[in-house]
Amino acid sequence: MYLFVADPEWRWWIVLYFYLGGIAAGAYFCATLIDLFGRPEDHRLARLGYAIAFPVIIVCGIFLTVDLQRPERFWHMLFKSEIVHQAIGEGWPWSAAGWREITRAPLLKYWSPMSAGAWALLLFGVCSFLSLLGSLRTDGRVARIFRSSWFGRLLQIVGCILGFFVAAYTGALLSATNEPIWSDSAWIAPLFLTSAASTGLATLMLLFHSGQPAAAETAVRLERADLWVLILELVVFAVFLVSLGNLLAPVLHTHHGLLLVVVVPLLAILLPLAMHFFAGRGGTVATAVLALVGGFLLRYAIVLAPPELLAAAPHLSPRSSLSEAQTPIGTAGSVVLNRFSPEEGRDLGSGPGADPGNRTGEVQPRSKLGDGE
Amino acid sequence: MPEPVGFFTDTTICIGCKACQVACHEWNNLPAQLGPPQPDGTRRPLPLSGDSYDNTRGFSDVNWRHVKFIEFFSTDLNRSQAAWLMMSDVCKHCVNAPCLEVCPTGAILRTEFDTVYINEPACNGCRDCVGACPFGVIHMSEDPNKHVAQKCTFCYDRLKNNMTPACAQACPTQSIRFGPIEQLKKIAQKRVEQLKEQKVESAQLYGADKSVLGGLNSFYLLVDRPETYGLPANPKMPSRTVPLSSLWSMLAAMLTGLGLLFAFRSRTRGHTETGVRSGAA
Repeated sequence: MYLFVADPEWRWWIVLYFYLGGIAAGAYFCATLIDLFGRPEDHRLARLGYAIAFPVIIVCGIFLTVDLQRPERFWHMLFKSEIVHQAIGEGWPWSAAGWREITRAPLLKYWSPMSAGAWALLLFGVCSFLSLLGSLRTDGRVARIFRSSWFGRLLQIVGCILGFFVAAYTGALLSATNEPIWSDSAWIAPLFLTSAASTGLATLMLLFHSGQPAAAETAVRLERADLWVLILELVVFAVFLVSLGNLLAPVLHTHHGLLLVVVVPLLAILLPLAMHFFAGRGGTVATAVLALVGGFLLRYAIVLAPPELLAAAPHLSPRSSLSEAQTPIGTAGSVVLNRFSPEEGRDLGSGPGADPGNRTGEVQPRSKLGDGE
Repeated sequence: MPEPVGFFTDTTICIGCKACQVACHEWNNLPAQLGPPQPDGTRRPLPLSGDSYDNTRGFSDVNWRHVKFIEFFSTDLNRSQAAWLMMSDVCKHCVNAPCLEVCPTGAILRTEFDTVYINEPACNGCRDCVGACPFGVIHMSEDPNKHVAQKCTFCYDRLKNNMTPACAQACPTQSIRFGPIEQLKKIAQKRVEQLKEQKVESAQLYGADKSVLGGLNSFYLLVDRPETYGLPANPKMPSRTVPLSSLWSMLAAMLTGLGLLFAFRSRTRGHTETGVRSGAA
């Protein structure tokens, strides 16, 4: 944990993206699993999942773009901007030289969750769109191609994997920083994944019960799935708290930390679990609402706790002793793959490292020298 | 190919004159830092804080260099006893650069001098680099015409023209030395030995060896623990968490998937099979 870092000022757009992206991904991977392995009578539920995933992920894309300080450059996440400009200068898409140049443009840094996530989000959007297309009608050619044919099955398998990825990478993105709390635990990504499953299922439950009369057997299976996911989320949440180690004490000195450690598990997990065990089928709607509120608060508290901690740090205790706080399941000292990125272990003057070469020639810095001053 | 270059900052001879900070502003056309918004919504240049000689307090979008005043005051009402440590801080131009590692647009690049440079036309303002830098160096420009990540360029334009960076040129005590990095390391080592001979046992180099992010192209001579100067003792690369995050996420995904699979395949009490699987619902 370092208290000398700056605050990236990820606020409401990012909180909303993490939350809605989780719902879209959770609803989608549940839908694909029902389509692939579930019972035919549950396919209405799968269609509902597809109906949620695509519109919500589009909204997420808009939120992410709005959050950028240069939204018109959103595509720089996917393509090397200088190469694209060069390709256009060489006549792309009307010239062979332009096409040769543009093939060098895609930019993927697999070791950077934001870079990998941008591609995953794009592909997830395509999969969820095709799945939605295939689920608009229960039969016909389009439904066959995008749901029941070999292509439809492949789409569901790929989409399911992408759904899990989209649900989890946002947590990995937070961990891949040097911010307090975020960088001290490798359990935010699995926590976001289980929370995505829980909020996705909660949205399905709400919509399933608010539409046409719900099929009793489907409702029972949906609740069983929800119960399993909540138990799993409880375990992951507990491990996440343990992974914070003795950082937990300073975290509890912040409002967002208190919200995260006390209120979130209560609303997102414990109360919904209690409803499952004690309220029976009558409490389905309340269970779903609690899980959705708790899922939102989880993202809100995790995103906003580090800035509060950074602001409060000088008043908590001497900075240095906080900086040395140890995390038992933390990751600062435990390295699975020592050189996961080409930047790590790079020697002085030995090459570009993680620099992807987004340039067409010599970089010309802004300079007074050129201005004749 | 030019030699890798760097800064060696000897904090023991920094006098806190801020000439480096001014030179940086001057050469890079950086405006004065603005204070908080006034009731009428306007913002004036940062007023005097009144409680520290370190008025700018840290890096910002317009303070690419920052002269730190690490102040030790006695607790009596008049603060009659005082001592300072001073340090001119800047982007470390890390050999293993966390900001460059995470940047998803390729806007942060490594120059031929082995320095780290933000190519502004490519930056889209995602702010991943801000959270990745363990030193809190990068800030987003508040200039509405820019809105991109900002930090020390190591006077890339001056380097290309065989000139010394503005800050090192302006430093009156040679606290900031510029030159080929290997040469600077030798000078720094000699200076540490000299200080130890003078019984300054706490003299130590920070970032001169590979232990801090593979080495820092801007490294320091300190006489207290790195944390006292606001420098993390053992910063890490952001990607270090990615393999473990991925591993636990895959495990969680498998358990979630299996749970959902069993839940949705299970029969319910009183349920009868109503049809054969048709594929399309």
